[in-house]
Amino acid sequence: MPDGRPNLNGVWEYIGTANWDIQDHSPAPGPMWQLGAIGAIPAGQGVVEGNEIPYKPAALEQKKKNKANWPAEDPEAKCYMPGIPRATYMPFPFQIIQSNKDILMAYEYASANRLINMGKPIEAGSDTWMGTSNGHWEGDTLVVDVTGLNGLSWFDRAGNFASDKLHVVERYNRRSNDVMDYVATIDDPSVFTKPWKISLPLYKRAEKNAQILEFKCVEFAEELLYGKYKKQPTK
Amino acid sequence: MRQRVLTSLMVLAAVLASVLLVTLPVIGQAPATKAKKSAYKPPKLPWGDPDLQGLWPGTDLIEVPLQRDAKAGERVEVTEEEFAQRQAKAERTAENDRVAYVAKDSKVGINPPGYWLEHGRPQKITSLVVDPPNGRIPELTDLAKQKAAQAKQAKQGHGPNETWEDQSLYDRCITRGVMGSILPVIYNNGTQIVQGPGYVAIRYEMIHETKIIPLDGRPHPSSNVKSYMGDARGHWEGNTLVIETTNFLGDKNGIGLNGGGTPHSADMVLTEKWTRTSPDMMEYTATINDPKTWVRPWTVRMPLRLNPEFPLYEYACHEGNYAMFNMLKGARADEKAAEEAAKAGKK
Repeated sequence: MPDGRPNLNGVWEYIGTANWDIQDHSPAPGPMWQLGAIGAIPAGQGVVEGNEIPYKPAALEQKKKNKANWPAEDPEAKCYMPGIPRATYMPFPFQIIQSNKDILMAYEYASANRLINMGKPIEAGSDTWMGTSNGHWEGDTLVVDVTGLNGLSWFDRAGNFASDKLHVVERYNRRSNDVMDYVATIDDPSVFTKPWKISLPLYKRAEKNAQILEFKCVEFAEELLYGKYKKQPTK
Repeated sequence: MRQRVLTSLMVLAAVLASVLLVTLPVIGQAPATKAKKSAYKPPKLPWGDPDLQGLWPGTDLIEVPLQRDAKAGERVEVTEEEFAQRQAKAERTAENDRVAYVAKDSKVGINPPGYWLEHGRPQKITSLVVDPPNGRIPELTDLAKQKAAQAKQAKQGHGPNETWEDQSLYDRCITRGVMGSILPVIYNNGTQIVQGPGYVAIRYEMIHETKIIPLDGRPHPSSNVKSYMGDARGHWEGNTLVIETTNFLGDKNGIGLNGGGTPHSADMVLTEKWTRTSPDMMEYTATINDPKTWVRPWTVRMPLRLNPEFPLYEYACHEGNYAMFNMLKGARADEKAAEEAAKAGKK
């Protein structure tokens, strides 16, 4: 960039299975046999550093409950905004618009977006799905401090979660033209015994016409959410 | 609940707007539909593009009707006298907003106090539509009239709360459409421009849309890629950003407030122009060209004021759409009650 900062502009996407489960996992059948192998859950190597998430005992029970209630209870299935960090590694691209001031991140999934304030840090107002983001540069790394998250998002389809005490510090470092390293430090003293880290590479979508498209998923979730309350045909 | 309140407020706003029109007969002004060429030179970004960045909410224009009162003819501005009336009305509204939260003799209702609504600044302009010169949306084509009649007929005997599909795309928190996302309404009018090299992005607060506009001259995708907000491409004409948007889903959103009004077709071409006319004013125009729906193109114009203090919130509409659950549950409960009452009556 003209200001000497690394240029993070572009359409980025993670390739991997973190959205299925941020931890190491074996392949498994999906919830709908009708989809056959298409609906099966692929195996994956996790993106959690050291693989273990330091849940407190009660929180671990909640995680298991979440998993048992998947997919119906997964906010992704409901088309709710994915929160941070999940927005980063969903199987959808996101676009970074880096201005001379703030940095916009626009995610294809659910038209979610957030503006990273690069000026004087602002305090989070009320809690939100995408949080309040304050960024600064440490050398060539963009560091984004995210607070004010409402804790209603999950980390993945395996039910990993946090609370509204969640504090995420993200680090974006463009390793090369095509790859950007992403590290997120996750801290939530009400759910975890200590902070832990997610780390994964983001890949630049290299198509000449790469762009994020519209994925307004509300329509795809309405039957799931409201189906049982619609008028049933009279017998 | 929020949605229902919101819908009620929209009705209220529409009523207020029409009252305003009736009480303000407009006299004698020359038409001036074409914006004057601005001599103002906006600051440039480090990579050379004009700097349009900032928050440009449409809040000032809330009370300006989309279409001009037919009685006003081709008059684009109100008289000084009428403007004074608008100012007096704005002062009365501000005064009302300062009164106690609950008036002594107020009845229980679902609407919030008036000061929850945002109010505009008194404007001289008579309508947001500036072309055709009468400030009115052009006549619908025969095809559009036919579609509207069919849509009305299809709704006969259905609703209002059989399924979520009985509600608008707005009340379902899907989208307000490409124009509904920028036309000023009762609250959450945040419109924010962020620019990067080769791109302009526009954020619309309510139902959180982001329009990303590549400036590199790439073609639109094929017509198989359709969306509510369409596919935007931009270029600079001097210091004016020109955005052409195509690839729409047809027969979904209208061009009115919050995506209401007659739905446009999939073939609509929307041409928007953003020009800074002073350090804190933006001239915005949008020309709607959809020969399948309207007999001629038409243009909306809005002078937008920079407001760096405007708080743009996350508008988690769908996530908080309790009204949808409640409306459907309520309707089923009513049906059950009616069924039981009928049974009891038979005995």
